[in-house]
Amino acid sequence: MTTHTNDQVTKPADPGPVSHLIGSDHPQRRRSWRGTALLVGLGVGLVLLAVISAGQGQLDIPPGQVIGAVTKWLGLDIGTAPVHPQGENALWYVRFPRVVLAMLVGGALATAGALMQGVFGNPLAEPAIVGVSSGAAVGAAATIVSGISVFGTWTVALAAFAGALATTMLVYALSRSGGRTEVVTLVLTGIAVNAFTFAVIAFFTYVASPDAREQLIFWQLGSLNGARWSAVLAVVPFVVVGLAVTVLVARKLDVLALGERSARHLGVSVERLRLTVIVVVALLVGSGTAFAGIIGFVGLVVPHLIRMIVGPGHRLLLPASALGGALLLTGADLAARTAVTNADLPLGMLTALVGGPFFFWLLRRTRARQGGWA
Amino acid sequence: MKILTRTRHRLPSFAGPAHLRATDVTVRLGGATILSDVTLDVRGGEILALVGPNGAGKSTLLGALSGDAVSSGVVLLHDEPLARWSAVEQSMRRAVLLQEIVLSFPFTAREVVAMGRTPWTATPFEDDDESAIQDAMAATDVAGLAERKFGTLSGGEKARVALARVLAQRAPILLLDEPTAALDLHHQELVMEVVRGRAAAGDAIVIVVHDLNLAAAHAGRVAILSEGRLVACGPPSDVLTPGLLSNVYHHRVDVFAHPRTGHPLITAVPHS
Repeated sequence: MTTHTNDQVTKPADPGPVSHLIGSDHPQRRRSWRGTALLVGLGVGLVLLAVISAGQGQLDIPPGQVIGAVTKWLGLDIGTAPVHPQGENALWYVRFPRVVLAMLVGGALATAGALMQGVFGNPLAEPAIVGVSSGAAVGAAATIVSGISVFGTWTVALAAFAGALATTMLVYALSRSGGRTEVVTLVLTGIAVNAFTFAVIAFFTYVASPDAREQLIFWQLGSLNGARWSAVLAVVPFVVVGLAVTVLVARKLDVLALGERSARHLGVSVERLRLTVIVVVALLVGSGTAFAGIIGFVGLVVPHLIRMIVGPGHRLLLPASALGGALLLTGADLAARTAVTNADLPLGMLTALVGGPFFFWLLRRTRARQGGWA
Repeated sequence: MKILTRTRHRLPSFAGPAHLRATDVTVRLGGATILSDVTLDVRGGEILALVGPNGAGKSTLLGALSGDAVSSGVVLLHDEPLARWSAVEQSMRRAVLLQEIVLSFPFTAREVVAMGRTPWTATPFEDDDESAIQDAMAATDVAGLAERKFGTLSGGEKARVALARVLAQRAPILLLDEPTAALDLHHQELVMEVVRGRAAAGDAIVIVVHDLNLAAAHAGRVAILSEGRLVACGPPSDVLTPGLLSNVYHHRVDVFAHPRTGHPLITAVPHS
């Protein structure tokens, strides 16, 4: 305890070559094997489920042939391509875009949830609960009803992003006091924001043409039915940028758990971090909502389960949530398509059926721990 | 990743002693003047204790020294206004322990201490992370709590883990708001010994304490605040006098010399 300070002060200012830093060996990585195992497990599970899901439907295609279709496209001469004459069409025009969109939407929503919880310092913050999803929905609904498409397929995604950004900032401004967000304030703010945004969506539904109206209603329930590659391509850049930024903010979000002042004392530019995270949340929720509608609770359930397994550190929580969310929504979509024969159940309905009780349980537990609402 | 986040912050390369100075600092909040015209020097190699009654402005002064907004006056870190240092540069040079300890997610005690290493991310000092964390946890007697969730610890354990986080930061200026308030006698002394060790190694320590005897026994200088003003600042035996203390605390206070060490012993006299 007596000499380290001198060492530190007299070290040269020039860091010199950095190569030795990257390979530096930190002996204490107790959680690391668990984290790696979780990420690998989620990744493998995701690939397996995607293959199975793509094979399921009116036309059943065995997993081997699904892989065969992909390897054929890659120009590899392994496995058997689908034997059914319509097999490849079904996979490439219907199933694959749908599965890929499910992964993107699930990953985006779960990561957005984890980010929101980190920046609000509140494990109950979730895009749908606080009204950000419905904010994105207002933006997307406006383009569906008005028929505006100045940016092509991107129009819906951009409008959803704008709606999500506006609501995230609004919720953030309204529900914080003294650097903290209390559960009651957050949930009540969510109720107010949701009431308003749903009224706007109701207005759009009312004035819409019959065609647009039907599209709006199904879209509000949340569904990946009719997913196309164009939608996937419109969403991909948003999700990729959003996920990339999470890598940069992860450690800072950990420190933010100590409160804003302590985070600042540890060198975190809290204002900049907050703004970055809000924009990223809007990007992710916007892309999660634009083509899939309102799918709630993914951002609540997934990060919570991940925290239970590997703890709250964001460097693991954020990538694991992305994979976990992708896995959950791919599975949920498979269930939505196959649970009832010849029916495509609304995906948002399914996630709410599971997520609603989960939210209730979380609320009860949080309340019990705090000994009542502050 | 490490290369991506590398920044061009000024690393601490100075050889001179740590130095922080508040000049004519005034803080007004909602019309009330919390702190008025305080001028105070914080020097390396010394423990400076801030004492005074509740609401005297101790925490506000500590906040001003750590970079909170001031209404007028200026705080200089190595002769440059705090605002000219980036948040990271400040955090490489001074660590702050707040009175109120919060944590929004169930991190373990070790993870909390490791957060103290944040300023050194992507610098050569990152290599010291492990030893800094272990040293700090050993010094505050919390090594055994490493894998416990922070939220499950007792008040005193939380206080020591929070202090370990501040020590692990290895900044040459330490601003500590009541680090001993929740601690038992043994751990109070342990913490003060750790802090003395840091001061002996050349660090500058500012510590807010309520226990005047703790200040008298360990501080090189004691600053007495009353109603937002600095009323005295100097060696304990000079400023911890019965007259001044009775006046400041609005209560009769007696001061004796410790029979063995000679430090002032302060005791409140009961109203009869």
